[in-house]
Amino acid sequence: MEAIRNAFDFSDFPRLDMTVAGAALVFLLAFPALPHSSFAMATMIQFLMFSLYGMGWNTIGGYAGQVDLGKAQYVGIGAYTTAVMMVRWDVPFWVSMPVGMALAVGWSFIIGYPLFKLKGHYFAIATIATSLVLKDLFEVWDFVGGAKGLELPLRGNFPDFLYLQFREDYYYFYILLAMFLAGLLFINGFRHSRLGYQLRAIKDNEDVARSLGINVHWCKIKAYAVATAYVAMVGSFHACYNFNIEPEDTMSLDLSVLIAMMAMLGGAGSLWGPIIGASILVPMRSYLGSWLGGQAGLAGLDLVIYGAIIMLIAAVQPRGVWGMVEAVRGRRRGV
Amino acid sequence: MEALFLAMFKALVAGLLMGLVFALVALGLTIIFGVMDVVNFAHGEFLMVGMYATLLTAPLLGVDPVLTLPFSALVGAGLGVLCYHGLIRHLLRGPTIAQLFGTFGLMLFLRNLALMIMGSEPMIVHQGILVGKSFVVGPGIVLGATKLAAAALSLGAFWGAWWLIDRTKTGKALTATSLDKEAAMYMGISTERVNALAWALGGASVAVAGGLLVNFWPVDPNVGLLFTMIAFATVALGGFGSIKGALVAGVLIGMIVQAPPVWDAMLRLVGSDAAEGFTIHSLKYTFVYLIYFLIMVVRPQGLFGWKQ
Amino acid sequence: MRKTMFLMVALLAATLAFSAAGLAADKEVKIGVLYPLTGGAAAAGRVLRAGAELAAEIANQQMSGIDMDMAKNAGVKSMGGAKIVLIVKDHQGNPQLGADLAKKLIKDDKVAGILGCYHSSVTKTVSAVCERYGVPMINGSSTSPALTTRDFKWFWRTTPHDKWFTKDLFELLIGLTEGKVKGVKAVPRQELNILAAACEKTEWGSHVSEEIKNFAGEYKFELAVNLLYAAKSPDLSSEVQSMIAPKPGAMLFASYASDAILMVKTLKSLKAKPKLIWGQDAGFDKPEFREMGADIEGILTRSVFLPSVARVKKVSGQVNELFKQKNGVDLDGASARSFTGLQTWVYVLEKAGSSDPKAIQKACNEITIPGDQLVVPWAGVKFENVGGETGQNVLGMGLIGQYQMQKDGKIGLEIVYPFNLATADMIYPIKGF
Repeated sequence: MEAIRNAFDFSDFPRLDMTVAGAALVFLLAFPALPHSSFAMATMIQFLMFSLYGMGWNTIGGYAGQVDLGKAQYVGIGAYTTAVMMVRWDVPFWVSMPVGMALAVGWSFIIGYPLFKLKGHYFAIATIATSLVLKDLFEVWDFVGGAKGLELPLRGNFPDFLYLQFREDYYYFYILLAMFLAGLLFINGFRHSRLGYQLRAIKDNEDVARSLGINVHWCKIKAYAVATAYVAMVGSFHACYNFNIEPEDTMSLDLSVLIAMMAMLGGAGSLWGPIIGASILVPMRSYLGSWLGGQAGLAGLDLVIYGAIIMLIAAVQPRGVWGMVEAVRGRRRGV
Repeated sequence: MEALFLAMFKALVAGLLMGLVFALVALGLTIIFGVMDVVNFAHGEFLMVGMYATLLTAPLLGVDPVLTLPFSALVGAGLGVLCYHGLIRHLLRGPTIAQLFGTFGLMLFLRNLALMIMGSEPMIVHQGILVGKSFVVGPGIVLGATKLAAAALSLGAFWGAWWLIDRTKTGKALTATSLDKEAAMYMGISTERVNALAWALGGASVAVAGGLLVNFWPVDPNVGLLFTMIAFATVALGGFGSIKGALVAGVLIGMIVQAPPVWDAMLRLVGSDAAEGFTIHSLKYTFVYLIYFLIMVVRPQGLFGWKQ
Repeated sequence: MRKTMFLMVALLAATLAFSAAGLAADKEVKIGVLYPLTGGAAAAGRVLRAGAELAAEIANQQMSGIDMDMAKNAGVKSMGGAKIVLIVKDHQGNPQLGADLAKKLIKDDKVAGILGCYHSSVTKTVSAVCERYGVPMINGSSTSPALTTRDFKWFWRTTPHDKWFTKDLFELLIGLTEGKVKGVKAVPRQELNILAAACEKTEWGSHVSEEIKNFAGEYKFELAVNLLYAAKSPDLSSEVQSMIAPKPGAMLFASYASDAILMVKTLKSLKAKPKLIWGQDAGFDKPEFREMGADIEGILTRSVFLPSVARVKKVSGQVNELFKQKNGVDLDGASARSFTGLQTWVYVLEKAGSSDPKAIQKACNEITIPGDQLVVPWAGVKFENVGGETGQNVLGMGLIGQYQMQKDGKIGLEIVYPFNLATADMIYPIKGF
C-alpha cells in the first residue's frame, strides 16, 4: 500500500515541475492526434524507448553512482527471448516479455555478484567486457541465429495485440507510453523506498553507509537488477517493433554508451534527468543526421556537434541539464 | 606431435610480437591513468591521428614513413596537451562519470572530424622500408617487418618510460602526484604541469605507435575502437597505472589471441573433424575479455596494480 | 481602368499558366531510395546513388546514343510521360533508422515504391515495413540468400545472391580441373582439392560461410578450414596461420574493405602460397583495395559487373561512358546493380501503367526484361517463385574477375568466369608473395 502511495507521491517537486510534467504528459497523450510526420512519430518512439532505458540505468548509474557501460547485454537478452520464443514456439509478446525480464534479472544476479566487487573505472570497464562476451557468444550460438540474427514472422492480420504486430506506429506508441508511465511511477516509488535511500547513502560515502549497517554489495546488486528489468523490457519491445534483431544492433557497445550518455546528459540521479536527456539527444540524432548527414562533404558533422555538446556538458555541469536547472534555482533561492 | 609443437612455437613467437604491439598502444593510456586517474576513451583516436599524421606527411616530405615518426610524436604530444587544457582539466572537477563521458565525447568528436576530413575509405602506406617485408627465421616461422619494428619500439618505449619515471626528477614528480596529489602540491610540484606532461607523454607514445602501425594496418576513422578495447583490457589487466603491468598484460593478451591455431593443430592431432572446431577463432577476443573479467574478480587491482 | 483590366487579365493568364505547369509537374512517380550515404559504407553509398540517379536521368529524357527502351521515351510513357523522381535518404547502415526512413518515405512522401538498401540487415527491416504497408520494394544489391525465402508479397530482388556466386566459384574450380578456363591447361584435381575459407562474423559473412560449406560438400572438395573472424579486428595473423597450416590450394574470403586489405597484407607477410585466392566482392572490389597494385595481381573476386563488360556489351559501354563523364569513375558492381534496380522500376511502372500498388505487384510478377536492355551481362530480369524462393530474379548471373596488370601499368579486373565471356587469359597459379 505504501509502495503505491510512494509511487504517486511527487510532493517533493515544486509546483512548476509538476505543471511542466503535466503539460508534457498531455502533449504525449495527444501526440498521435496532432499533425505530425511519420518520421516524427518514429523519433517519438525512439525517445520513449531511450527514456525507459535511461530510467533503468539511472537506478544503478544515477542513484547508486556506479557507472554501468554494459546495459546493452540486457537489451539483447530481452529482445532475443521474445524473438526466440515467437519464432520457435509462437509465444505471444506478453508472455515472452516477463520471461525475458526474468532471464535478464537472473543473469544480472550471476554477473552482478562478482562485478560489484569492483569500483570506479574497474567496474565500468568490466561491465563493457561482460557485455562484449555475451554479444560474442550470441554471435556463434546457432540456436539464436548466430551473427545472422533472427527475423520475426509477419503474422499477417493487423492489428495483432497479442504478438504486438501493427501496421500503424501509434499502436506501438501508446503501448510504449503505457510502459513509460508505469516505469516512471515505479521509479518514483523506488526513490522513496528503503533501497532508494540506502543507495543514496552508498553514493555519498560507502564506508559510512556500511557503518550504518547497510549491506552495500547486496544493495548494489538489487539496484542493478531493477535497472536490468527496465532495459530487458524495452529490449523485448524492440524485437517486436523492429521485426529483425542481430547481436550487432541489440548488444553493441555503442548502445550501452548511448543509454548511459542520455541519462548522464539529462542529469544522473534525478527523476527527470533521463527523460530530459532522451528528449534532447534522440531528436538531435535523428534530425541532425537527416539534415546534415546526407549532404556531401558534411558526413560526420552531426556527430562532431554531438561530441562537442557532450564534452561541453561534462566539463561545465557534470550533473547534466537537470543540474543546471537546480543550480539556477538554488541561486534564485539564495538571492 | 611435431606439428603441434611447431604450431605452439609459432603461436608463442607471433603472440610475443603482437603482445608487444598491444602493450605499445596501451602504454600511453597507462601513463595517463597512473598519474591522474583518468580513463581516456579517446585513446584509440590518438592512435588514429598518429596513423594519419604519418600517412599524410610521408609523401608530402618525400621521405620514408619511418622517418616521420618524430613528427607523429609531436602531433600526438600537441594533441595531448591541447586536450588536457581544453577539456580534461575541467573534467577533473566533476565526478568519475563526467570524466568517462567527457572523453567519450572527445572520441566521437575526433573520430567524426577525421571522417569529415579524410572520408571513410581505409588508407595505408604503400611504400617504405617496412612495407611488405618479412623474414623467414625457421620452418614456417615468419616475422613481419612492421611487427618486428613495433615490438622493438615497444621494448624501447617501455624502457624509456621506466627510466623516466624511476630515474629522473620529472619522473619523481609524476610518481608523487599519482601517489598523493595534495601532498605533491605542498612539496611545490605543479600538478597542472605534471598532468599536462603526462598527457603529452601519453599522446606522443600512442601517436608514434600509430605512425609505425600504418605501415601494415590500414587506417580509417573508426580504427581507434579496435585498439581501444584491447588497450583497456591490457591496462586494466596489468593494473591501472602500472607500466610493468601493461607490458606483461599486453604479451599475455597477444598469446591468448594467437591460441586458436594451436587448438587447430591439437584437433588435427587427435584426428577430429576439423571443420567443426572453428568456433574458437571467432571467440578469440571473447577469451581476452573473459580472462580479463575473471582476473579482475579474483584480483580487483589487476596483476601489478597497487591502486584501487 | 483599362490598365487595371489588362493587369487582371495578365494576372489571370499567369495564374492559369502556372497551374497548367503545376498540372504537368504533377505527372511524376516518386521512388524512395535508401542507401548508406554516411557511415562505414559511405563510399559504396555514393556510387549506388549515382547509379540510380543516372538510370532515372536516362528514363526521364530521350537519349539517342543509348540502345535501351527507356532511353527512347521521356518519362514513363504508359503513365502519360510521368517523370521518375528519386527521393534519396541515408540509412547509415542502421536497420532501425532504415525502417524509420521507410515509414517516412511511404507515409509522408507518398512514394510509389522503394529501391534499396545495400546492407542485407537494413533491407530486412525496410522490407518488413513495406510488407506491412503493402508498398512494393525492389532490391538491387543485397545478396543475403535469406531475403527471398521469406515468402514476402511486396519484395523483389534483381541481383543474384550469395548462393549463386558461391556456386560460380565451384564451377570455376571444376572448370580449372577440366581445362575449360581460358589460357590455363587442365589442373590436376589434388592441387586444388583442399580449401580454406575465412568469412567475417556478420549476417552476410556467416551466410557465405554456410554456402561455401554446402557447395564444398556437393562438389566434393575438402574444406579443411572454415572460420568466422571478428570483423574489423586489430589482428588477423592467427586466422591466416590456421588457414595456411593444411596447405590449401584455394583460399576463400568474405571481407569488407579494411579487413580485406589487412588479410592480403597478412597473407603476404606470412608468405602464404595458395594457388588461388577468391574474394566474395565487398572489400575485394573497392578502389582502396586496388591501390595495393602489384600485390593483388591474380586475386579473384566475384562481381556482377566489371568495366571489361563494357568492351563486350555495347549498351554497357554506352552507359558506362555516360557514368564516367558524370562521376569520373567506371561503373562497378555496386553502381551497375543500383542502375539495374532502378531500371527495373521504370520497366515495371511502364508495364503497370499506374502507381497503384496492386498494379505494380501484378507487373512485377509478370514482367520479363530482355537481357539486351541491361548493362549487366544477365539473360534478363524475370521474378519467379521457385525452389522455396519468392521474388528472386531467375535470369541473373554472377561474374568472376581477376586482377591483372593492364597495358597502362594499372591494375584492372578481367573476366575469367563464365568461360564464354572471358576477356583475358587467367593467371594460374597466382604468383604468390
